[in-house]
Amino acid sequence: MAPPAQSQRSPSPSQPSGKSEVSDLKLQLRQLAGSRAPGVDDSKRELFKKVISYMTIGIDVSSLFGEMVMCSATSDIVLKKMCYLYVGNYAKVNPDLALLTINFLQRDCRDEDPMIRGLALRSLCSLRVANLVEYLVGPLGSGLKDSNSYVRMVAVMGVLKLYHISASTCIDADFPSILKHLMLHDSDTQVVANCLSALQEIWSAEASTSEEASREREALISKPVIYYLLNRIKEFSEWAQCLVLELVTKYVPSDSSEIFDIMNLLEDRLQHANGAVVLATIRVFLQLTLSMTDVHQQVYERIKAPLLTLVSSGSPEQSYAVLSHLHLLVMRAPYVFSSDYKHFYCQYNEPSYVKRLKLEMLTAVANESNTYEIVTELCEYAANVDIPIARESIRAVGKIALQQYDVNAIVDRLLQFLEMEKDYVTAEALVLVKDLLRKYPQWSHDCIAVVGNISSKNVQEPKAKAALIWMLGEYSQDMQDAPYVLESLVENWDEEHSAEVRLHLLTAVMRCFFKRPPETQSALGAALAAGIADFHQDVHDRALFYYRILRYNVSVAERVVNPPKQAVSVFADTQSSEIKDRIFDEFNSLSVLYQKPSYMFTDKEHRVPLEFADELGNLSIGEAANNVVPTQMVEENDKDLLLTTSEKEETKGSRNNGSAYTVPYDGSSTSVFASQAQVESAVSNPTLAGHSPQASFAIDDLLGLGIPATPAVPSPPQLKLNTKAALDPSTFQQKWRQLPVALSQEISVNPQGVAALTAPQALLRHMQSHSIHCIASGGQSPNFKFLFFAQKFEESSNYLVECVINTSSAKAQVKIKADDQNTSQDFSTLFESALSKFGTS
Amino acid sequence: MLQCIFLLSDSGEVMLEKQLTGHRVDRSICDWFWDHVISQGDSFKSQPVIASPTHYLFQVVREGITFLACTQVEMPPLMGIEFLCRVSDVLSDYLGGLNEDVIKDNFVIVYELLDEMIDNGFPLTTEANILREMIAPPNIVSKVLSVVTGNSSNVSDTLPGATGSCIPWRAAEPKYANNEVYVDLVEEMDAVINRDGALVKCEVYGEVRVNSHLSGLPDLTLSFANPSILDDVRFHPCVRFRPWESHQVLSFVPPDGEFKLMSYRIKKLKSTPLYVKPQLTSDAGKCRVNVLVGIRNDPGKTIDSITLEFQLPPCILSADLNSNHGTVNILGNKICSWTIGRIPKDKTPSLSGTLLLETELERLHVFPTFRVGFRIMGVALSGLQIDKLDLKTAPSRLYKGFRALTRAGEFEVRS
Repeated sequence: MAPPAQSQRSPSPSQPSGKSEVSDLKLQLRQLAGSRAPGVDDSKRELFKKVISYMTIGIDVSSLFGEMVMCSATSDIVLKKMCYLYVGNYAKVNPDLALLTINFLQRDCRDEDPMIRGLALRSLCSLRVANLVEYLVGPLGSGLKDSNSYVRMVAVMGVLKLYHISASTCIDADFPSILKHLMLHDSDTQVVANCLSALQEIWSAEASTSEEASREREALISKPVIYYLLNRIKEFSEWAQCLVLELVTKYVPSDSSEIFDIMNLLEDRLQHANGAVVLATIRVFLQLTLSMTDVHQQVYERIKAPLLTLVSSGSPEQSYAVLSHLHLLVMRAPYVFSSDYKHFYCQYNEPSYVKRLKLEMLTAVANESNTYEIVTELCEYAANVDIPIARESIRAVGKIALQQYDVNAIVDRLLQFLEMEKDYVTAEALVLVKDLLRKYPQWSHDCIAVVGNISSKNVQEPKAKAALIWMLGEYSQDMQDAPYVLESLVENWDEEHSAEVRLHLLTAVMRCFFKRPPETQSALGAALAAGIADFHQDVHDRALFYYRILRYNVSVAERVVNPPKQAVSVFADTQSSEIKDRIFDEFNSLSVLYQKPSYMFTDKEHRVPLEFADELGNLSIGEAANNVVPTQMVEENDKDLLLTTSEKEETKGSRNNGSAYTVPYDGSSTSVFASQAQVESAVSNPTLAGHSPQASFAIDDLLGLGIPATPAVPSPPQLKLNTKAALDPSTFQQKWRQLPVALSQEISVNPQGVAALTAPQALLRHMQSHSIHCIASGGQSPNFKFLFFAQKFEESSNYLVECVINTSSAKAQVKIKADDQNTSQDFSTLFESALSKFGTS
Repeated sequence: MLQCIFLLSDSGEVMLEKQLTGHRVDRSICDWFWDHVISQGDSFKSQPVIASPTHYLFQVVREGITFLACTQVEMPPLMGIEFLCRVSDVLSDYLGGLNEDVIKDNFVIVYELLDEMIDNGFPLTTEANILREMIAPPNIVSKVLSVVTGNSSNVSDTLPGATGSCIPWRAAEPKYANNEVYVDLVEEMDAVINRDGALVKCEVYGEVRVNSHLSGLPDLTLSFANPSILDDVRFHPCVRFRPWESHQVLSFVPPDGEFKLMSYRIKKLKSTPLYVKPQLTSDAGKCRVNVLVGIRNDPGKTIDSITLEFQLPPCILSADLNSNHGTVNILGNKICSWTIGRIPKDKTPSLSGTLLLETELERLHVFPTFRVGFRIMGVALSGLQIDKLDLKTAPSRLYKGFRALTRAGEFEVRS
């Protein structure tokens, strides 16, 4: 038993510390053990209660095991239950003493009261001590044949527990086939349901090794079994219905008439009081009709009302789960819910996680007919007391504006926000106006008039300030005092803490300079000087870049900084449609709540604690919800165009700071301005390609980093790796099984590296910068295990690495497998050099 | 499937731990969870499903008690959430309410209940009626009985008959001297009213609750005078679907005792029984408040327990509010609560006064939302009416009772 885990959190003064009380209890139990005096059961009960309550608060009472067992000879069922509970908790750590309990449990299994038989059998199977399995087979066998369904139901689950303790004992006793027989013939539906869940688990686990088991597993989803279960579905308990429905989703009907039969049979399940049943039924309907477009649409109409009822009548927790699913559906069929938008209006008392999802729903269902009402409602929330929700609702208005063609009314609303004189409202609205202007430049006159009235002193949030500055630069010809506002901002350069704002300020001053040179010249000089002296790497680099390009050729500089822009027509979506489809296939699962397919977050062998490399792992696996990814990729594209390939290796290391190029981006907004970024870079590319090498070498010199950094690599590897490689874990596993080990070696890790390994994330980030991606990591000091992969540049040839680092010996055991065996040596060199640099950079 | 269930007190203490599978979940997960909750501000804000580094956690908070379940495999989320909700319902039903003390005093019963409700991580029976037959609730009667008879077991000697019957919600044939069945219509009105008095949204969520004490296997049919107004319905498992499909009649064999036969939703209602007219005007660092409450649409029965509540915006320094009827209290968390009770015949209740804003503020920018409470006995505001209740093979003496009640659900007025 674990030590009292919560002790650091203010234990109540009455809470006993343990030791003396436990020995006291021991004594009292011993006295009672042999007694047959009347009323002894009551005093036993008090003692047992104390023991269990100690156990519950986390005090180790395992030393009482012997006494508890001695006292267990009783006919009192509550005493028995408490004893079972105690035994179940401690048997695993006391396997020898557990043997003592077998006797009385086995005797109870033959009791005349079915309740006691059942309870004893359940406890017997819950002991989970491997060397006691031989005592289980007998009671289980007779339990399965018991005349009382309660005992049979317990016995079925017992078989599954036995299987998990010792699979071979379970199979040898031929229990699976008994369960199969029970499943198809038992009169009690709970027994049937338990058989089904036990068999599913057993056969799925066996299927990898035994062909017969995989055949049996297939047989579970065969027509006769499915029909047998479906015909009895109304007799099942609500939870068992969920189980059956889940099985039905795996069934592939032979023709459409069968599909309609199943749907007719299940239609009333949509009216069930249990939300889990309703959702499971909806999943069946959606799955069955995937290939029948018309019917699929009808299904949406049919499931609409039950879903909306679940949202508005359940507890907030239920609403949350249902809304997540609705969100998925509405992405596929927005029009279905567009007339029911009022269901997604937020109530004052709802928890914010529900409100947030409702706001997303409102954004998703907005169309020409309901936009006015929805936006009006959203504007109400902007005055909400709950500030995060107020912000979200303003963002929602912005998103709707970006979806719609008729934005007339919305722009007015947004501009009203700007006049509301609340700092967070102004801040959010500014960011939105900026996005809006990028899509609808025709609105610039109306917006600029209002934006011009906002004093930059009243805007404090970096994102909003950056947006304001971007507009000042972009529309400086229309804003009378733009150069002077910018100038005053430059004067306060040192007080500006956000690098993002300073970057935008540099660019804005540049842009303004090209539009109104005489007024801006002095500000530009000051800005460049301040920028070059800036301690932030990116700001420094950009200022220097502007300075040099201005010196090189002013008209080139203008083409780079002020290219003609196209309006953004579609903002890229962060979630690929492939991922959305995958989540849809996993309807009614946790994936929907996390908005990620399950391979991204669940761990197949969950009994081995192998944790997915977070953030960076996800980056490489695919464009997950993490919205930084696409932005970074856009940047990388830009840089790829700017730099010759030979330099990529050197710059990669510094890329992780997430430096912004001239693409104004907003980390929190979910859209990426992909198209414009490409326009800008395409324009800037031809002139720059020839000149940038010198420039960037010079920068390196200036920084004192110099080129000599590279010779640290033992031999410059010829192998180029794909920086954006992607591989999903299942493919990795499959490949790892198939491929032979190409190389296996021991690499020493330098001491700084070992020191930096206190957090495994550091290594992942480091390797990522060398285009070697982590797919999973785990372990505890001193042994860490990492699984890496890399892809050859412009080829789909993969390298898989298993790397076990022992921090006490500072050695790494590396196993490399490769699709292309010939290059595995090169890769190994690359890997070794990357690893050896860990901690030094 | 669920691997473990914890019950946590409102200070994060583990009150109860129930391991469900062979894979033991370490208690340290609760510490992680509690730190997470604290980092979120309060448990009301943290999501019901959370991914911890090792497990996926479901949490449901009821009356300060957190029901926490852990799993490591993919499963239907609603199954976890619904199950925890049921556990809390059953416990509060058994223990006559939920709080830390009552759980700690009765933890043996809680263990017993959990034992029957879930096995190996898979939910079994969550019907309170059935559980009641397996494990007797800890009430005064059973305590007295145990003292008198000397039989202190709170477990019935017989197994519930229903485990063997094909009607899982009904115990084997009970016998009553007086056969009674009561049907209650309980409605909650959810409404949002804008500052100009326009009804943004108004709908009714209703339940048909039945309390049945009938001998044998009674077969009941319940019909409504106007079933067409129902927008969506959900049924207790005992309701037969076909009769409803064909002629909107509820045909069922009821569980014994109290249960929820059906719940329904009626949307797009056109009016509310009350009007609330808030007026807020602010200048020069002050805000004048005036709220009027009156009857808009007389439902024909008395509206009572009228209350009005609103959160004062954080930028308010002090408030001086008075009413011409009822009492006004400003609670510690800046919630102003006005208890009106019934509307008097001779005057319109009004609340008025001034709010003093923070020094640098000229005008008020955040407007409070007024939450209204009321209760009307004897009327279902949606207009739903029960036509008749029939019993196939009626016993000689049968008493049928009908009641209706409407109360405010989320009834909000914006200002």
